[in-house]
Amino acid sequence: MADQGHEPVVITYGEKEDTEHREGVEIHRVTSTDSASDTLSWAMHLGHQMEKKAVELAGNHDFDLVHAHDWMAVSASSGIKNTLDIPMVFTVHSTQKGRDGIDSDYQRAIHNLEWYGTYEADQVITVGREFSEEVKHTFDVPDDKVNYIPNGVDLEKFDSHTNNLNYNDYALDWEKIVLFVGRMYPQKGPGHLIEAMPHIIDRNPEAKFVMVGSGSTDHYRRIARSEVDEKVYFPGYVSDKELLSLMKTAEMTVAPSVYEPFGIVPLEAAACETPTVGSYTGGMKDTIVHEYTGLHTYPADSDSIAHQVERAMNDPGWTDWLGDNARERVEDNFRWEQISAWTTGIYSKAVKR
Amino acid sequence: MRVLLLSRRFTDGEDISEYCKHLSSHLVENGHDVTIISFEDETDYSVDERVEVKRTPLHFEGDSLYNWAMMLNNEIKRVARELEENDSFDLIHANDWVTVPGGVTLAKHLEKPFVVTVHSTENERGFSGEHAPLISELEWQGAFEADRVFVNRYETMQSVLHDLDVPDDKVMTVDPLEHGWESRILENYKEVLNRKRKVSN
Repeated sequence: MADQGHEPVVITYGEKEDTEHREGVEIHRVTSTDSASDTLSWAMHLGHQMEKKAVELAGNHDFDLVHAHDWMAVSASSGIKNTLDIPMVFTVHSTQKGRDGIDSDYQRAIHNLEWYGTYEADQVITVGREFSEEVKHTFDVPDDKVNYIPNGVDLEKFDSHTNNLNYNDYALDWEKIVLFVGRMYPQKGPGHLIEAMPHIIDRNPEAKFVMVGSGSTDHYRRIARSEVDEKVYFPGYVSDKELLSLMKTAEMTVAPSVYEPFGIVPLEAAACETPTVGSYTGGMKDTIVHEYTGLHTYPADSDSIAHQVERAMNDPGWTDWLGDNARERVEDNFRWEQISAWTTGIYSKAVKR
Repeated sequence: MRVLLLSRRFTDGEDISEYCKHLSSHLVENGHDVTIISFEDETDYSVDERVEVKRTPLHFEGDSLYNWAMMLNNEIKRVARELEENDSFDLIHANDWVTVPGGVTLAKHLEKPFVVTVHSTENERGFSGEHAPLISELEWQGAFEADRVFVNRYETMQSVLHDLDVPDDKVMTVDPLEHGWESRILENYKEVLNRKRKVSN
């Protein structure tokens, strides 16, 4: 946006208060509290700090609009909108209902805040096409207020990276890496992939599963090791650079998510010319084109995962071709230049309310 | 003078509402304008008809008073800012921690004097709920940002001085059971306004 002539100011959380100027973007970090008993009240406290920062900055900035991301920013952005009398845009990246339900008072309060954000906002952005429908339905938002804009990929980051992976840290020379990247929670479906592993190994012993991500790692490691022993590896924390090397090296990534409004992994893999075997759900319906940039599986279906991974394993030439297509499609459709132009288009709509 | 009073609720029989009611009646009686902003809870209230009362709904129930209050303040800001467009306020008076976030933000943005009445502190109430530290922090912030802090009684004065570290020349006991307490508040408004004017001149 800064490149396109706008003046974005980011207000976010920081361990300590500071201001940074980075490539035309002004970034302000504000602190929160150590004494909050849960994330919701922590976010409320933070929201007030953010709002005070915005009001202070408004003294010498003429803000045209406030753009909030997810429920944690709803209190701040409502306060800023109402105090400064500027329009508000709200991006929904996922919903409490989809993440882990709305059964407790606490979960319902978050759900209520998400609704509040869509209600207060002049325009709503969602990161997935199918997810747009979910947001309209869940929060009862009028059609003409909800817009679909996918996330983008910074190709420069991938292209400037030199792949210096020490292959034997992850696999033997004759093995091929099948990569999972994501938080180890049921929503991301690592269990379904683990269930598919022994079937894949039966027919494709060269497969080596590398499971990267935080979360309930120990739990999933225990199950996976009992299924396929040394054919699966959980490296624990992996630096961004190492992860890029892994993505560039892997034969394919597998994204077995059960709920995935957008899902950045297939696009990041695509930037590395690596195809993704991903569930036909949410954002992956759009970010993967079946048999052209990757392969779709039925969600939460380990047989389907096993089948599609084997197809890719059995035809490396075809898998390379899928990876090349995936890369080309990202270049054509998911560049940040494009995404930010769409976003400022929504801003114009909101300003003209 | 045009005064903005902020209160969690404005309803008959509730302590802080009665405080606001008597204070605002006295103010309008002396030719000043008063607006009270509070939550729309559909209850009855009676007040001198010259007092403007704006009760705002809130479409957020929340899981706790703290989280609810933080969102109520966002509605208070909207109402206050809309009123400010037509006629400017001279002073903002918050009551207890519940209306501190709105009062502080509005006072900063509109560059108005800010006073707060601490009807009781979290420490006095036992500091026991899960959000006690956050609530106490709001009390501290309200007192810190205020040009003047009012308390109703000796015990609250002690807590404000020792638990919230408010300098003693900033805080004043004005007991709403004593005759003429409203005029003492009004005198303090005037003093705060004069001091601000001198500084800005």
